[in-house]
Amino acid sequence: MTIETITCDEALDLLEPFVDGELPFAQAEPLRSHLQGCRACAGELALAERIRRELRALPQPDCPPEVIERVVRSGRGEVVPFPARRRSGWRVRIAAAAAVLALAVGGGSLFFNLQQRPDRPDPTQVAQATRDARLALAYLDKVTRKAGLGVRDEVLEKRLVIPAARSVSRSLGEFQAPADETRKELR
Amino acid sequence: MMTRRPVLSSILAALLFLAATAGGAQRLTDQPGYLPLEQLNLFPSDELEVEINLDGPLLNMVAAATKKEDPEFSSVMAGLKSIKVQVFPLKGVDSAGIKPRIGRAVHWLEEKGWKSTIRVKDKGDETYIYLLESGGKIAGLTLLSMSPGDEAVVINIVGRIDPAQLGRLGQNLHLPQLQKVPTQGGAKKPE
Repeated sequence: MTIETITCDEALDLLEPFVDGELPFAQAEPLRSHLQGCRACAGELALAERIRRELRALPQPDCPPEVIERVVRSGRGEVVPFPARRRSGWRVRIAAAAAVLALAVGGGSLFFNLQQRPDRPDPTQVAQATRDARLALAYLDKVTRKAGLGVRDEVLEKRLVIPAARSVSRSLGEFQAPADETRKELR
Repeated sequence: MMTRRPVLSSILAALLFLAATAGGAQRLTDQPGYLPLEQLNLFPSDELEVEINLDGPLLNMVAAATKKEDPEFSSVMAGLKSIKVQVFPLKGVDSAGIKPRIGRAVHWLEEKGWKSTIRVKDKGDETYIYLLESGGKIAGLTLLSMSPGDEAVVINIVGRIDPAQLGRLGQNLHLPQLQKVPTQGGAKKPE
């Protein structure tokens, strides 16, 4: 029995049905003979078999029930429209990112504030703070009152009362005393 | 177009939330009216006769605690974010070293836009009162005073301030301790 010889191109055309087990014996034998003598075509066969193995190893997802239902309804001749696809463009992504950022910052800030804030005010601490606050206001009053006296001495007396007294005295020809002495007299 | 409104609303809500939380977390040092006493280093901190540092949460507690017994004092406290007082004794101390520090603080206040309300120099005593306005309201009050042979005082009050109300409250206090330097527990007085 003689085996028909084939070229590499012919061998490559036959590889797919050969791997699938669909090649008739009359064509398979010349191919086998060619593959024994041709390393390039034998490599192609090894690659095709590997692809086939790995494809079979992939998980096969179940068909979603709504697709099955749609197929069944289509089979009954019903017109089944496709549901409107929800767009999730860049705006949605930006909004989601902004919301996540806001939650992160807000949550962090809230956590930080809660950490800093005592759960219950200590009555002693509050009483002391009340005394300190009153003391601060009293200090404010004391210093401003003192400044008020200063305003009276500096502004009213020096710039109004004493000059007025001088001018009156000059007009009467009596003014000789220095300002300080005049001030004492006015008091 | 269908998604534009919800998206814009989400962004707006997120921004509002951010602004709200950021406002809540605003630091005291960022408040208008705040005087950085530590930075200005007016008086040696270990020689202070009186030191008062009251911040927002504590002042809120004071406001809540005094609401019934003294409503006016309580309402003033509720509007404040900080009260700081430092009193440095000048009895037997040469005040020449303090004078330039007061001058430096005055310069700092004027550079930051504070308005001079009272400025009195009388017989060696110097008193300065500055107010800071923000949004048409007084947001800060700073008083600097130096009385050679007696004491130097700095007071900084931050928050919603009504000077007339503060003055009225101060007048009603009549604390006898002020005739002599007080020794309040919270107020620091070195041994």
